[in-house]
Amino acid sequence: MRKLIWRNLLRNKVRTLLTVLSVAIALFLLTLLGGVYRALTAVGSENSAELLVARNAISLTFQLPEAYGQRLRSIEGVEEIVGTTWFQGVYKDTRPENMFPRFAADETLFEVYQEIEISDEHLQAWLAERDAFVAGRALAEKQGWEIGDRIQIQGDIYPVNLDLVLRGLFEWPGEEFQENLIYFHRRYLEEATGNPGIVGTYWMRLSSEDVAPQVIQTSEAMFENSAAQVRTETGEAFAASFTEMLGNVQFLFGAIGLGIVISILFITANTMAMAARERTTETAVLRTLGFQRPAVLGMVLGEALLVGGLGALLGVLGGSLALQGLGEAMQQFAPTFAAVRATPGILAGALGLGLVIGFASGIIPAVAQARSSIVDGLRSVG
Amino acid sequence: MSDATPGSGAGAAAGGELAVEIHDLTKSYKRDRFDIKVLDGLSLAVRSGEFVALMGPSGSGKSTLLNLLAGVDRPTSGELRVAGQRVGGLSDRRLAEWRHRHIGFIFQFYNLIPVLTAYENVELPLTLERLSKAQRRVKVETALGVVGLGDRMRHYPRQLSGGQEQRVAIARAIVTDPTLLLADEPTGDLDATSAAEVLDLLVQLNQEFGKTILMVTHDPRAAERASRLLHLEKGKLVESEQEALGETAPSQPVGAREA
Repeated sequence: MRKLIWRNLLRNKVRTLLTVLSVAIALFLLTLLGGVYRALTAVGSENSAELLVARNAISLTFQLPEAYGQRLRSIEGVEEIVGTTWFQGVYKDTRPENMFPRFAADETLFEVYQEIEISDEHLQAWLAERDAFVAGRALAEKQGWEIGDRIQIQGDIYPVNLDLVLRGLFEWPGEEFQENLIYFHRRYLEEATGNPGIVGTYWMRLSSEDVAPQVIQTSEAMFENSAAQVRTETGEAFAASFTEMLGNVQFLFGAIGLGIVISILFITANTMAMAARERTTETAVLRTLGFQRPAVLGMVLGEALLVGGLGALLGVLGGSLALQGLGEAMQQFAPTFAAVRATPGILAGALGLGLVIGFASGIIPAVAQARSSIVDGLRSVG
Repeated sequence: MSDATPGSGAGAAAGGELAVEIHDLTKSYKRDRFDIKVLDGLSLAVRSGEFVALMGPSGSGKSTLLNLLAGVDRPTSGELRVAGQRVGGLSDRRLAEWRHRHIGFIFQFYNLIPVLTAYENVELPLTLERLSKAQRRVKVETALGVVGLGDRMRHYPRQLSGGQEQRVAIARAIVTDPTLLLADEPTGDLDATSAAEVLDLLVQLNQEFGKTILMVTHDPRAAERASRLLHLEKGKLVESEQEALGETAPSQPVGAREA
């Protein structure tokens, strides 16, 4: 029976290929959408529940006074705080391989981001020099940097060029995509820009995630009557705020995904219905030979599942490869996000969806064939 | 069974196990508001080892009778027994199992599965049985050997002539060693030479292997090869050649007796 299912699948190769490809393209797009959506909503740290971020309430493009740091640090439940500022700038040129996130950060960086691993030697070397920077190991390997190498970042948002020396490498286990960035001293940026006393965002590590609601409420109330009001949120919500800038992406992605699935379901169902109808006589012959109705049902359904499964496999494979490429580009623009990539969950979901498409497209013709009259089937012979 | 019904008497009365017993069989179809009676109180007995030809004009109920005998259709009323089993009372599942065990069906248009080779087509019914691959191979090769296509096992139907396709279909029908072979115009789509070969094969199966065969045909020359000829008209058996010809050996062709 398995042989017959396989042979039937290959009976009309062009039709099968086109159907498999249509499922593959749909699943390719869904994998892509899934990966991008994850990147837009993920925080990139398993411990993010204990991380809060305070930013300017107006928008991310506005900054906060440096003086807020001490006051935020004093809130009960805040264990450590780090101010970070997005420096952008140009390294060498604007080619994609030379684009990576550059952040100015306080010395408390690694006390807040405890997930980041850096050797004590490298940490002390970074802390000891005002123009030192630390880089993710993945980025350093990609750029061919060695400890002690000097780089220059030309300012674009900020009207200053930064001369930096590499003093440390860090790793971010399980989140290797986060290793594609550098941190240098915020104090150095402040000095270079004339001490404007501004910070992009403050990240706070809490004593426990239970205190988060209280810290959010206190920190926002603390600056309610200030010129720069604060919005404090979890890392997840912070990442989602990037998404909000794009509008209701969740709805948009959902609607696109649903549209793709429904349209491809109709196409596949039509193909399966045609394929099954063409074999009405053969089905009748099989049943005359003694094959039971469930065997006929399984035969049509098996073929539909194969179409859906093969399409999904191709689509998911293509999608994950495309995401890998897209991931590098995305990191340049959304550094605090988890990078775009196909997670096992996305891959499994897409594969499962392919099988669901196969099942849904095959079940009606399969049942119709299984229930059809043998006499009518034999009569349909020319 | 009614002795007064044509076809029910002489052949069966001559002795031997009954392969087919039909008593007062009726089959009606509903078309729009009308009930169309295709078989009307038909009775018939066929002994094991007989080769019966069934003739009649289109719409006389020949194929319907064949479908009922094969258990792919159910009678409206009456009794139908094949190899002692009352067919009408079986559930769908049991009927499929029964069909597999007792019926070999030969179609006018061969109805081979085009994506399977001759070997695989013949093997198909055996996949329903608990047989090893080696056991299936022996049976398939034997069946294809009987029909003279031992050298065409790896050919697909499209690579065979009409006559060869029909012989593969016959091999598929006999591979499970069924009680009854039913042939629905087996030569209807063949040229004269191929038709003669197929008929020779059916006669061989009847005479050498003792197969009980019931063949529907429009072709008088094909009918002549059978040992008994029945005529069906408007759902009733109206004539029995066997009765007209008297008591003769059931496996002896009608044509031979006339000669």
